[in-house]
Amino acid sequence: MTPSTALLSLEQTPPLAVPLRFFLTAPLFGLAAALLALWIGPGHLGSRWQPGVLAFTHLLTLGYLAMVMFGALFQLLPVLVGVRLRWPLPTARVIHGLLVAGTLLLVTAFLRDTAGWFVAAGLVLGLAIGTFVAVIGHALWNACSVHDTVCAMKLSLTSLGVTLILGLWLVLGHVDSELGPRAVLIDLHLSWGLLGWAGLLLVGVAYQVVPMFQITAEYKPRLRHWLPWAVLLLLIVWSLAFLHLPRLAWVPGLGLAAVFAMFALVTLQLQRHRLRRLPDVTVDFWYLGLLCLLAAAGLWLVHQGWPQAMTAALFQLWWGVLVVVGAVVALISGMLYKIVPFLVWLHLNNRMQEAGRWQGNLPTMRQVIAERQARRHLYLHGAATVLLLPGLVWPWLFYPALLVLAGAFAAQWWNLLGAARTYRSLLRSAGL
Amino acid sequence: MMPRGVERNIDVSALGPPEPLVLTLAAAERLQPGEFLRMHHRMKPCHLYGELECRGYGHDTRRTVDGMCEVFIWRQGDEVAAAAAQDAAQALAAWPAN
Repeated sequence: MTPSTALLSLEQTPPLAVPLRFFLTAPLFGLAAALLALWIGPGHLGSRWQPGVLAFTHLLTLGYLAMVMFGALFQLLPVLVGVRLRWPLPTARVIHGLLVAGTLLLVTAFLRDTAGWFVAAGLVLGLAIGTFVAVIGHALWNACSVHDTVCAMKLSLTSLGVTLILGLWLVLGHVDSELGPRAVLIDLHLSWGLLGWAGLLLVGVAYQVVPMFQITAEYKPRLRHWLPWAVLLLLIVWSLAFLHLPRLAWVPGLGLAAVFAMFALVTLQLQRHRLRRLPDVTVDFWYLGLLCLLAAAGLWLVHQGWPQAMTAALFQLWWGVLVVVGAVVALISGMLYKIVPFLVWLHLNNRMQEAGRWQGNLPTMRQVIAERQARRHLYLHGAATVLLLPGLVWPWLFYPALLVLAGAFAAQWWNLLGAARTYRSLLRSAGL
Repeated sequence: MMPRGVERNIDVSALGPPEPLVLTLAAAERLQPGEFLRMHHRMKPCHLYGELECRGYGHDTRRTVDGMCEVFIWRQGDEVAAAAAQDAAQALAAWPAN
């Protein structure tokens, strides 16, 4: 067994309000996505090019995924990298506000399809994401830490920058049709966003939180080191092939599918041998997410090998559901059920200690968010994922699938809000 | 003859945050004169050190041959416990700096 290289400096943790505003907002955007899809109905969600699908997708990717990931980076950067951000609370407030406004503007732009809304959305989102990349990037590149998580974060942030540039280019295409939008650019935007930005950040954070919170062995150092670089290099090669040699794009595509499948299999193997084999909702969320990741890789292989097996439109929608809803949202949800109770405990501990109180009677992690409540969310989310796949083919399943998805996001919001309320009520009862 | 220190053990290697911290601090509180605590964990417990120092404990972190982490903890001013803890710690390699 290799020694853990986790270097946490928890005393550098930013105020709880910094990550929590992002974590508490994200499920509301997930809920809005499900309600929007219910309102639009299955007739307008038959291909990824339809405005309703684009609005739904961006409510999830910007409103949910980016929202949680921004909050997580604000939290993890000082703790993992040891860099203290200047003015974390005002910076987080501004970026959070801009991200919320920009996402709502973009969704409105897709639904109304007018140039003015796209210009406004592009400006606000450009400002939100650009500021975030600048603030976090400056801190990351000035960090002394050489941990593989830091490297994965740097590559992930680079991918976010590429995703933003491609996204702004696509927005320009809506303003002036001479500039696009081109299908190729959309595929690049989607791949850099999902595989580069979200995928690499999840991989990097997993290096820390899987061994620490799921009580497993560490990822092998060699794998930890090469995996993020492999994803970035394959994304670059895939992008170039997609633009100039589309017939050969399947080769780096296969490499990307293999790398993420390997990450999923290695993580499942670590979890299979975890030291404490008590039921743990986080691990179960990860099982769901990793199995969906493997299923998405398998679906991609099937579509490449036997394109006649399903229509391109159905493949794209299924792949999107498996990666976004099934994998990334589930993995993030699992992490939140460890990160949020731990942060609540940590901040209570710090506040009590500052006030000279003995903190022995603080609630445990499972008292901050009860396992039973989190598990209810897991079942709703799992059911929604399973129902959404046939729901895209048979409209009579579409409505129950989206209702269950809305219920899952509502349950998550309620659970996270409960943790925040526990924090406030304990501080109040301690007279702090 | 110098009195011999007594080793108390705590294994938190199968626990997740914050239990290793909470249980180790509670075990340290129970140390009697001449006793030191040997904490066994799978990773370096970075948050523990500040807590130990502000409560008046000394510590020494070591690595076992299988890569596990052992932290030796004693009350500052308890010379018997400190000497015994450092004797026991010297049998193991120092924890890597990074």
